[in-house]
Amino acid sequence: MTTKKISKKDIGKLLEGWSRELTVFVPSKDKGVTEMAKWDGKDTGFLEWYRNTVIPAKSSFLPAMEKMFSFQKNNDGYHLELSPDQQKRIVFGIRPCDARAMVIIDKVFTDSYEDPYYVSKRKNTVLIGLSCTNPYDSCFCTSLGVKPAESADVDLMFTDIEDEFLIEEITDKGKELLAAASVVKKATKADDAKAKTEKAAVSAMVIRKLDIEDISEKLQACFTDKDYWEKVAAKCVSCGVCTLLCPTCYCFDICDELSKKQGTRYRSWDSCGFSIYTQMPMENPREAKWRRVRQKVCHKYEFYPMNSEVIACTGCGRCIRLCPVNWDITQILASVPAEQPAKK
Amino acid sequence: MEQELRKEARKLLEEGKVDYIIGFAPGSLKFSTTPLITEEKEEIASLVINSFVVNNLAKFLTEVPGRIGIVAKGCDSRSIVSLIQDNRIARENVIIIGVPCSGLIDIVKVEKLVGKDRDEIDDIALQGEKVAVTVGGGKTELPTKEALFDNCLSCEFPTPQEYDILIGEPINATCNRELGQEKMKELEGMTPERRWEFWKHQFSRCIMCYACRQVCPACFCEQCFVEETEPQWVLPVPKWQDNLIFQVIRNIHVAGRCTDCGECERVCPVNIPLRSLTKKMYGLVNEMLNYKAGTDKNAPPLMTAYEHEEAKDLIR
Amino acid sequence: MEHKSEWEPRIVGFLCKWCSYAGADLAGTSRKKYPANVRILKVPCSGRVDPLLILKGLRLGFDGVVVSGCHPGDCHYQTGNYRARRRIALTKKFLEYMGVPEERIQATWVSASEGDKFAQVVAGVTKGLKEVGSNKLFAGNGQ
Repeated sequence: MTTKKISKKDIGKLLEGWSRELTVFVPSKDKGVTEMAKWDGKDTGFLEWYRNTVIPAKSSFLPAMEKMFSFQKNNDGYHLELSPDQQKRIVFGIRPCDARAMVIIDKVFTDSYEDPYYVSKRKNTVLIGLSCTNPYDSCFCTSLGVKPAESADVDLMFTDIEDEFLIEEITDKGKELLAAASVVKKATKADDAKAKTEKAAVSAMVIRKLDIEDISEKLQACFTDKDYWEKVAAKCVSCGVCTLLCPTCYCFDICDELSKKQGTRYRSWDSCGFSIYTQMPMENPREAKWRRVRQKVCHKYEFYPMNSEVIACTGCGRCIRLCPVNWDITQILASVPAEQPAKK
Repeated sequence: MEQELRKEARKLLEEGKVDYIIGFAPGSLKFSTTPLITEEKEEIASLVINSFVVNNLAKFLTEVPGRIGIVAKGCDSRSIVSLIQDNRIARENVIIIGVPCSGLIDIVKVEKLVGKDRDEIDDIALQGEKVAVTVGGGKTELPTKEALFDNCLSCEFPTPQEYDILIGEPINATCNRELGQEKMKELEGMTPERRWEFWKHQFSRCIMCYACRQVCPACFCEQCFVEETEPQWVLPVPKWQDNLIFQVIRNIHVAGRCTDCGECERVCPVNIPLRSLTKKMYGLVNEMLNYKAGTDKNAPPLMTAYEHEEAKDLIR
Repeated sequence: MEHKSEWEPRIVGFLCKWCSYAGADLAGTSRKKYPANVRILKVPCSGRVDPLLILKGLRLGFDGVVVSGCHPGDCHYQTGNYRARRRIALTKKFLEYMGVPEERIQATWVSASEGDKFAQVVAGVTKGLKEVGSNKLFAGNGQ
């Protein structure tokens, strides 16, 4: 694969060229929280401050709030107004952990039923990955098979080599996008070597480790250990922060906003951490907090791998950074008992 | 002080006076602590007191069963008293281990002032009037006033008013009630339209994670009004209108029980300035009804009490 | 009857069934003239009025909310209106801080014999709202 490169100061020109035909999304803090937002056309300051966004990249495909359709009741019946088709766009700067997360949850939206909203967004988006240069101390991606400075889950991968980015064309979609960009040059062997060293160096910067060997089996073995799970869940306050901001969480709720002759159907993020998540007319099987906490851990590290052969976690560390009580998944998983509890 | 705390907590467990101890243990990230809820004597050794013990542990009193020994800063002890006033916990089931507090360091403020994230900072040490921040070998000194949480700046009760055991010496309130009010005063100076636009903008990024509600000791309803479906007051969709209504009603519902501890603003993942609301409500309750949450365990809860003559100018 | 072409405020009124609702009835039976802008919802007591009802009214698009109960000391349930008093006073002041003009929320005590007062209250609220304008607080998609 021939690699290309671009000088960091030409990034603005590159994005500008693309934004003539497509909408470009970049890391932004304009709204008061870091997230992927529409590029304002000139500011590339994010290249300085960007480590990772608080709002994960999944919000570009499964937004916190999405209008599905609206309807009106006229004299001749109901009229549906579908949401407009997704316009073509670029998400520039997605980190390898968030990009891997998209691949992990793709299955949920395409398996037995193709979710038109999600799929159309995925189809019409070019993902441009950006290598990490400064992982957080809460990142643990390397333990889950994700490398902070390389990714095959994007269409183009930009690797930081000091004043320039090395560009790898991963998919045809990415190749096509890059073809017309004049500010992009061919990379040299020296550039390739520099990138290789950089990739290894950044991987070594991820200090938090998680041993996932046999984690599914271990969790299966202690599933009925109520005492263990009660202790694990003790300080959790059952908010939704870890799940809503997790790039591999995908639960959503659908509800209608109705008025006399019209309405709108929305889809919005939901969390298994909420006490009413499993509320049914007759009962709530996960009313007790320890059951919800157990569910979250086991879903990500036992059930999902059982069904899809991949752990539903990419080690982005958001749950650790943002938890109000510093509940730490890496500590929990390290403490899972190795043997089944003695029969009482 | 930590040694004394551990000694007392251990004694409580050994003498069987409590079933659980709730306190702070070191967190897994730099400059963080995490709640410790334990019945094991061995775990008491990990109890800590430092400038980062942010959580309001009173929240756990409505969940953890039995008799509890709880570590409480000034603001936390008032939340505990508030819960006693509301009859959510019985005074005899709680042993309050009071810890006088001279203020906690707001890591977000420090990050902004030194231009580095917390995992890039080597050390932060509170040294009286100064906070020493070490980054990569180099030391910066910040005035303490700029590094503490806003509500610590105007703290009226640094020493718990209600306690069974006091760790260390009482601290007198020397903080200026006017400090930490800049955001609120700024809002009060705007026109109503500007204010509404401000809040509309803030609540556009709320994702309805309910972290603010969940960490609040005063929010102990078994079914929150947002979970009501017949009738449905707010949709579970994070539209700014519903986010705003949720927060406004939440503030009104906890009025008189909110001690302005600031946890709601600290935990908000999208940085909504919630204390500009709680602080205002706290001030209104004080001005209009001469009441401060959690200062008198025998007082009736604010919203169930009444004077025969009041609010004359508002309702005729 | 004059043809009204200007905008008319829509007001929702929570009236306690023992005093205020009866007072409104009296205004009607005495043929008092007052603006027809209030849609009345009967509540058993002003103490029933949760701030949520007030905010929901504004959210639904009502231009103003009126809450009316028995005079303090005269509540049919003894203390209901005392509770309402604190609640509504705090709600009003807090919402003012948020940016809701104070004319949008009015609270008053109207007894069963004060048909006149009820008519005056409605007229006053309507006039105030005409000046403040239509309620667009919750309109739009925000940023």
